[in-house]
Amino acid sequence: MNRARGSRTPSGSTLDRSTPPEAGELRPLTLPELARIELGSGLRLLVAEDHQLPEVSMRLVLEAGATCEPSGLEGAAEITGRLLTEGADGRDAREVATWLDRLGAGFSVSAGYDVTILSLHLLRDVLDGALDFLAAVVRRPSFEEAEVERVLGERLDEIDRDLDRPEVLADHALIGALYARHRYGIPAAGTRDTVEALGRPAVADFHARHFGPRGATLVVCGDVEAGALLEAVETRFGDWSGGEGRVPVVPLDTAATVPGAVVLVDRPASAQAEIRLGAVGASYSDAAFFELLVGNAILGGLFNSRVNMNLREERGWTYGARTAFHFRRAAGPFVGQTAVETGVAAEALSEFVRETAGLLAEPPLPEEMELARNSLVLSLPRQFETASQVSSKLATQAVYDLPEEYWETYRQRVEGVSADGVLEAMRAHLDPAEMAYIVVGDGQELETPLAERFGRVEMRSTPTRP
Amino acid sequence: MHSDSVRFEFEERRLDNGLRVILHEDRSTPVVAVHVMYHVGSKNERRGRTGFAHLFEHLLFQGSGHIPKGEHFRLIQRAGGTLNGSTWFDRTNYFEVLPSNELDLALWLESDRMGFFEESITQEKLDNQRGVVKNERRQSYENRPYGLAFETLLEHAFPDGHPYRHPTIGYMSDLDAASLEDVHEFFRDYYAPNNGVLVLAGDFETDRAMERVEAYFGEFPSREVPPPPRVERVGDERGERRAVITDAVQVPRVYMLFHGPSFNDPAFETSDVLTSLLAEGKSSRLYRELVYERQLAGEVQCFTWPLESVGMVIVVATARPGVDAERLEEAVNAVLEPVRESGVTDEELEGARNRARRSLIRRLNSVGDRADAFADAAVLRDDPAYVNHAFERYETVARPDVADVAGAVLRSTRRTVLHVVPEESGAEGRAA
Repeated sequence: MNRARGSRTPSGSTLDRSTPPEAGELRPLTLPELARIELGSGLRLLVAEDHQLPEVSMRLVLEAGATCEPSGLEGAAEITGRLLTEGADGRDAREVATWLDRLGAGFSVSAGYDVTILSLHLLRDVLDGALDFLAAVVRRPSFEEAEVERVLGERLDEIDRDLDRPEVLADHALIGALYARHRYGIPAAGTRDTVEALGRPAVADFHARHFGPRGATLVVCGDVEAGALLEAVETRFGDWSGGEGRVPVVPLDTAATVPGAVVLVDRPASAQAEIRLGAVGASYSDAAFFELLVGNAILGGLFNSRVNMNLREERGWTYGARTAFHFRRAAGPFVGQTAVETGVAAEALSEFVRETAGLLAEPPLPEEMELARNSLVLSLPRQFETASQVSSKLATQAVYDLPEEYWETYRQRVEGVSADGVLEAMRAHLDPAEMAYIVVGDGQELETPLAERFGRVEMRSTPTRP
Repeated sequence: MHSDSVRFEFEERRLDNGLRVILHEDRSTPVVAVHVMYHVGSKNERRGRTGFAHLFEHLLFQGSGHIPKGEHFRLIQRAGGTLNGSTWFDRTNYFEVLPSNELDLALWLESDRMGFFEESITQEKLDNQRGVVKNERRQSYENRPYGLAFETLLEHAFPDGHPYRHPTIGYMSDLDAASLEDVHEFFRDYYAPNNGVLVLAGDFETDRAMERVEAYFGEFPSREVPPPPRVERVGDERGERRAVITDAVQVPRVYMLFHGPSFNDPAFETSDVLTSLLAEGKSSRLYRELVYERQLAGEVQCFTWPLESVGMVIVVATARPGVDAERLEEAVNAVLEPVRESGVTDEELEGARNRARRSLIRRLNSVGDRADAFADAAVLRDDPAYVNHAFERYETVARPDVADVAGAVLRSTRRTVLHVVPEESGAEGRAA
């Protein structure tokens, strides 16, 4: 292109548009001050006051994740979580719903593999009422037979409706391939078979064993006063007891069951091919955690990552391509994902594999390292802006036993990551020859091109509703 | 009970070239949001070029006079920021949220694409992003269960040629037809400083920031912008419209579109409160009746879209297995009819108002949220102060207002009903 850079500023102006402007002086982020209190019952309370807006964000972290479930009853944590608000404290399901909706609060339960987190977002003026609500549904849910059966029925229908979604089929096929003998191989919310096996006794038992103060943490952020809050929490949770606390992390059988073939889930007449590649990744406590964060940012974590620049910005084959390590208490999956037009699916998967292999061949470039490290550390201020963001960060800290000074030292840890360190960490965790490859799409169109590039293709039909 | 008053201070200024600037200073976190909203969306597209406003948005991330392809994203992310853009019926926006010491970086990038876009756009970039957008359409619409329902609903709800009749993502054949000439014409028509609003929210000093804005944006001349499209109100004469499509889904879904108040209409907040108490939360009428009591639906939604020139109130209900669309539709009608006839109770209204208040605050949590809200209020309502006034507007919604809006909007004589049914049940083929 023929143009003079930086020369079109009108006379009299000193603006130079030819290069990015110099940054001003970075204002340091002040991390929220924390009050940490342990109640007699074992419940830990973490409070971060922030009085800018009249709102409060609470998260109750319970040692009641999917990994606590008895084998064959997977999904118990999810169903227990849903049933908390279907009758509690002598009120029936309708009365509990009206109670919550009139408070105007937002309540949700997230049953993950490691823990169950109850989140409650509200305005300051309903704080007492919201704590009453929380105590009632956590401590005294009714689990009436009819409600249990209704919620199980709804959940089974949802499982069936999920069969319509190619991204869900792909995710489930991937974890199944990676974790054949581990809880992480089954969706956190269970499967049709395991949910069908649930009933009132399993739910009541799960609640009795895992919904207690032992190992639990209540995080409260926003427009509260720590002293008054402690009193309010004591009143409602002081005599709470029980809970088995943390169950030991089940280690992974690392000689996992990589299929050695591309798994092709046949979904006839699909408008696109949904692609996954994956491996058993890393745990939150992995010694190379920060190296993996940086390496992932370069491979597929950022917009300007290698896979997105290749598949989207150069070739225009997809709306986006990305990768992530799902860090958990045990090694969660590394997942690469994209969705592309059917005709280029095999080639797109090859490119994805090639980019992954490229990052295992030599250390990332200095400018890639700079981009990745900066994006991780300089983004911290906007991750600590709102009460809900802060409560979420504190909850994560509680779940993974991150040290108190974790966020204070985060910058230093990321900046200590070297290009060679990234190479070593990525090599230790990823090997394209050992990865699982999943494609969900039109089997007739995809089978031959995939077989040509990858050898063996294992075609499966889309699961159907019984 | 609600003695707290929430208020976000701002200043409004205008450059000589017509660029409207809103500055909301808040120094509590070292973060700043820069948001540019242009008053152009899918409703400005001409026939045969649906999806163009959105495709154009993608092109604005492909570099400009001083910024090579890929650099916009890279520079913002390297500074620790986040960025994106979005396109809707009425407007297109572009925003960055980044550490406040990098305010100039965002102003440099946004002003470069406002002033020096045309010289950098190429056929290659257009073809690349055309591919990306066509795959966005495949991923988010065609390959998603019920993904074509909304565009089908619009096609039936509005008459031929109506600006709100087509989806922002556009149709494949129109995306294929978009040319480099179209790109130049669209840029010259709509991406003028006098057709935009620039919002700064966060950690800066207002006068000093305004100097930087002037330096970066002041030199671009204002241009004549085409008049807004004529939007006919959909009247009673359109009657009830009905459609059935099939999709690769397990269970049917019923969609209903009612013609309601626009975002500018004094009844907008009342309509928003009405739709909230119909389907938000498990005590809402539609949830309680359809999901809990009669167990005919797996999920139900109802919402009012904040649109500039028309109003859309939409109900979506997903059937439980074994329940057909006709039966589900009857059940929806049975919930709406008494609300239309006799309104709602004080208890329902109080809950809906409490939720609305919390949700207003939640949607103004971060500086990015606030920049977004100021831009919407300025562009769609010509009233940035609405961000603060909205609290009172929701607080004062009264029972008779809700009854009036319900009576005027929820009428079967002026609505569109769409059934999406599983493929094997044999309606006229998949719409894709």
